[in-house]
Amino acid sequence: MSLRESVLPEIPAGPTRRQIQAAIGIIRRVSAVWDKTGPYLYADNKDIEETLRQVGVMIERAESNGCGADLEPLRQRLAAALDRGGQRDVEYPSPAALGARNVELQGLLVELQEALHGASSPEGTGRPASAERIEIVTTLRALLRRMLKREMEITAPPSARK
Amino acid sequence: MSASPTGAVENLAARLRRFLGANLEGALEIRIDNLAPITAGNARQAWEFDVRWLERSEERKVRCVMLRKAEAGQLETDLVPEFRIISALWDSGVPVARALWMDSEGRWLERPAFIMEKVAGVTDLPALLKPESAGSSRAIAQQLAAIAARLHTVDWSKLGVDFLPATTPETAAARQISYWESLFLKHRMEPHPVMTAAFIWLKEHPPVAGRISIVHGDFRFGNFLYEGDRINAMLDWEMVHLGDPVEDLAWAYRSLWGPQAFFPLDEFVVRYTELSGIPVPYETLRFYRLLGEVKHSIISLTGARSFMDGRTRNLFLADRASTTTGYLMQFLDWLPE
Repeated sequence: MSLRESVLPEIPAGPTRRQIQAAIGIIRRVSAVWDKTGPYLYADNKDIEETLRQVGVMIERAESNGCGADLEPLRQRLAAALDRGGQRDVEYPSPAALGARNVELQGLLVELQEALHGASSPEGTGRPASAERIEIVTTLRALLRRMLKREMEITAPPSARK
Repeated sequence: MSASPTGAVENLAARLRRFLGANLEGALEIRIDNLAPITAGNARQAWEFDVRWLERSEERKVRCVMLRKAEAGQLETDLVPEFRIISALWDSGVPVARALWMDSEGRWLERPAFIMEKVAGVTDLPALLKPESAGSSRAIAQQLAAIAARLHTVDWSKLGVDFLPATTPETAAARQISYWESLFLKHRMEPHPVMTAAFIWLKEHPPVAGRISIVHGDFRFGNFLYEGDRINAMLDWEMVHLGDPVEDLAWAYRSLWGPQAFFPLDEFVVRYTELSGIPVPYETLRFYRLLGEVKHSIISLTGARSFMDGRTRNLFLADRASTTTGYLMQFLDWLPE
């Protein structure tokens, strides 16, 4: 018998019962996803790294077209972070290491988007040509959608839904 | 050593007696009866009680509801504007509870709180959204459109709502973006590039409001008391502000609580515009629907953060951050190409 079947009926309606229901929901979700966290982070990190490499190439192309110069420092930071290797250096990275790398990569995505937004503002100089910017934004938006889809499998897997 | 539940209730009753003694001039033999918690919400505790007293030898009685600030919850909101707005709207034609007394600093009632007269009805959202309730829920949704029309056409300049920050049609959207972004930056637990993308899009596409109205801020099924197919009072005014009224319409139709199944949004808009004369441009509605997904994401993140920081032990907030995935997926789905 599950907690929901054996424990809940014993508790009268009220704040305590609702807290027990919340606890059961959390336990259910953890039990459904605990072994998926590592693979999720690994896949997420790999996708972000590959996409950032593609974006780096797009920024380089924009620079060679004579625009996007103000994104050069960011492009170099991206390249350095990607060259550091992250999970490639370790055969079986721990979930903690994967998580730390994921946060680092998220930070780069935030920085990249903010730099692009700043570069496209009226005050920005050397902004990428509109076609390159559109391509980068489209690429990033597709990545964000894939990230959310993977996250959905962890946060709301079918087995944990009511 | 923590007080037993019975002790806590007696303690609160005593505090209420003292508070009301200070607020009810000439009142004698103040009694608090039937004090009990009402189960609702994460941000405030609600209690109901009856207060009786003698006034010039006549017994007076009022059935009351007290809203008191909880320990940290989903949003850090101030109760004072909420008390003041329902006081201001009392005779406006917008159904609200009668605001009675306020302890703005929590000097009497341990935490900031206000008391209003109890209004009959329930807030039962699941009941409203059941397919078998379609008939009465459609009627209620039509009333909601009428209430929105009334609220948004109230001449707020004559109501003394100077406690609400001023805004203009050109800045209304930007003010909301700024407010929610500052909350996000304060409470986020990771960089969150999807939210960054969302804010960038919102900042690049702010609509100009057709007019500035009182905006409820949490206008939806689940935030009013109803009996049968009649709405008795709008509740939960803690996100009230001056702004673009379209924001309320967009929020009312979020998939979590919206009456789309029995009163589609376009019918709601038609009825609202007929009653209020306020047009609802498609792009503005889309903007505020997108902002709505971001808003709810941030409300969830704030709640999760308060649990992680140890400011609340409410387990409903422990996993609240996981709900943002669906909201943000909806945001991306609605983004124009």
